[in-house]
Amino acid sequence: MHVLRVEGLSLHYGEQQVLNEISFSFEKGKIIGLLGPNGAGKSSIFKVLAGLVRPDSGVVEKNGVSLNDISDLRKSCAYMIDSPAFYPYLSGRQNLQLICRILGVDKDPEKLMSLVGLDPFSQKRVSNYSTGMKQRLAIAQTMINDVDLLLLDEPFNGLDPNGFQDLITLLRKLNEEGTTVVVSSHLLNELEQFADAFILLHGGSIALDISKKDLLKQKKKVSFVFDSNPPDSALNLISKFGLYKDESQTAFLDLEPNEIARTVERLVDLGAVPVNVETQNLLESKYLEITA
Amino acid sequence: MRNLIYIELYKLFSSTRTYVTFFIAMALMLIINLGMFMEGEKIFEFLLESISEYFIVNGEILNGYLVTYLAMNTLWVHIPVLIVIIAASIFAVEFETGTIRLLLTQPISRGRLLQAKVVAMIVYNFVFMLLTVLAALVPAYFLFGTGDLVVFLDGVQFIQEATFLKRLTLSLAFATVSMIAFSSLGMIFSLFFKNTLTSILLSMGVLILSTLLQKFVFGLFSAWQPFLFSYHFSKWQLFFMDEIPVQSILQSLGFMIGMILILYLISYFKFNKMNITQ
Repeated sequence: MHVLRVEGLSLHYGEQQVLNEISFSFEKGKIIGLLGPNGAGKSSIFKVLAGLVRPDSGVVEKNGVSLNDISDLRKSCAYMIDSPAFYPYLSGRQNLQLICRILGVDKDPEKLMSLVGLDPFSQKRVSNYSTGMKQRLAIAQTMINDVDLLLLDEPFNGLDPNGFQDLITLLRKLNEEGTTVVVSSHLLNELEQFADAFILLHGGSIALDISKKDLLKQKKKVSFVFDSNPPDSALNLISKFGLYKDESQTAFLDLEPNEIARTVERLVDLGAVPVNVETQNLLESKYLEITA
Repeated sequence: MRNLIYIELYKLFSSTRTYVTFFIAMALMLIINLGMFMEGEKIFEFLLESISEYFIVNGEILNGYLVTYLAMNTLWVHIPVLIVIIAASIFAVEFETGTIRLLLTQPISRGRLLQAKVVAMIVYNFVFMLLTVLAALVPAYFLFGTGDLVVFLDGVQFIQEATFLKRLTLSLAFATVSMIAFSSLGMIFSLFFKNTLTSILLSMGVLILSTLLQKFVFGLFSAWQPFLFSYHFSKWQLFFMDEIPVQSILQSLGFMIGMILILYLISYFKFNKMNITQ
């Protein structure tokens, strides 16, 4: 079951084609990572889905129901788009109160602020907030309304490691409660751990749409660093899975995750003891492969 | 809609710059009052010399009502400058700070948001004008007392003391409509250019040009007069003529209300079609 389904979405800014007839869907109850280099169209997708930008074409279905106007999505989605923006002369609490008032929701801003760890600063003006604090406030703002889809554009920007972990925990909690979470980020390693599915955008098109389960089935790029050139028998083994570079005394192999340990054992048996073994993150290697 | 109007007013009256404009206007009125209190007698002696050939003046001409009228007359070009600071920031600040995204990602219609901003702008104009007039009238009342009003406007006009407050209220209402018309211009620039400073400069440019062209009352230039902002703005003074020229005032009122409506419609279509790409 899809919470959101988009067909044939196209968008251009002036001469530039930003989104090129793309189609995708977000599965209900999942965490989806939206990836892509700068200018790939990630933020534009969020802006279209938030009704900020009108697409040239595209059909959107929410929970199986086709929408005449994409901006109707705002009734059941919450957004954090680009860098968070709030009224600097108001406190964090007052900013949330304003949004509660717009939405006609009777929620305690203090509770929302404590959920994101901002309760000690609720009376402070937003102009005194750090980037990370504004980021947290933006997350609190997305939780005002009860929505089933959360669209977060670069939510980890400006967060310190603690803030990052807190946000991951919070988003997981919301996801466990049934909210579908879509997150765009450049933090590929973290996203691979966190998300259930990935959509990679490149040049306004979808270059990869894959679930974590399927991604994990793919071969990993593993590099083995040796302190001297391995014997010929080991080089034969290496050539079956990849290549060896003399200058760096490093072998680069494509291996299935369950083959890595066995390969290390075989290399050691053949007299080639690696001094360092590095596995490249699956998502990262896919990303680099596609966008290079 | 009520909620949107509430938040627009809340934002407006939580911003320091709103109070700065109130403070400047009120301070200017107080300064004029104090100036008149200290040097007013001398100024009037000098002025009365020029009409002493035609009139015998008995009693006290310099009173609180005259000072109020003069204070307003001195500042009617300066007041739009202050008002446009707020009008020009109504949309521009939202674009500059990115809060337009915060607003438009909520399930509200753009048309309603625009309406709420227009209502907030109208309320601001009204409060501004009321405070400015009160800042002129109240100190003048206590410093100079009351009396009949003598003004030099298309000749000498004698206004009975009893009718002054009624005329002042009407001219205040008219001036407020004028300022709303000018604010609408600031707002539309704010929507098109998304930059406060540019919008203020453009609005000021229109005002300066209009005021300048108004001075050219001969030949081809005279045909432009009815299309100039400042030509209509200055009509608030007509409420202080012995016989109020209702027709002329209504024409100017019609021009300004028409201008407000046209600018509102342009803003409505522009805002509804606009892509928020920042």
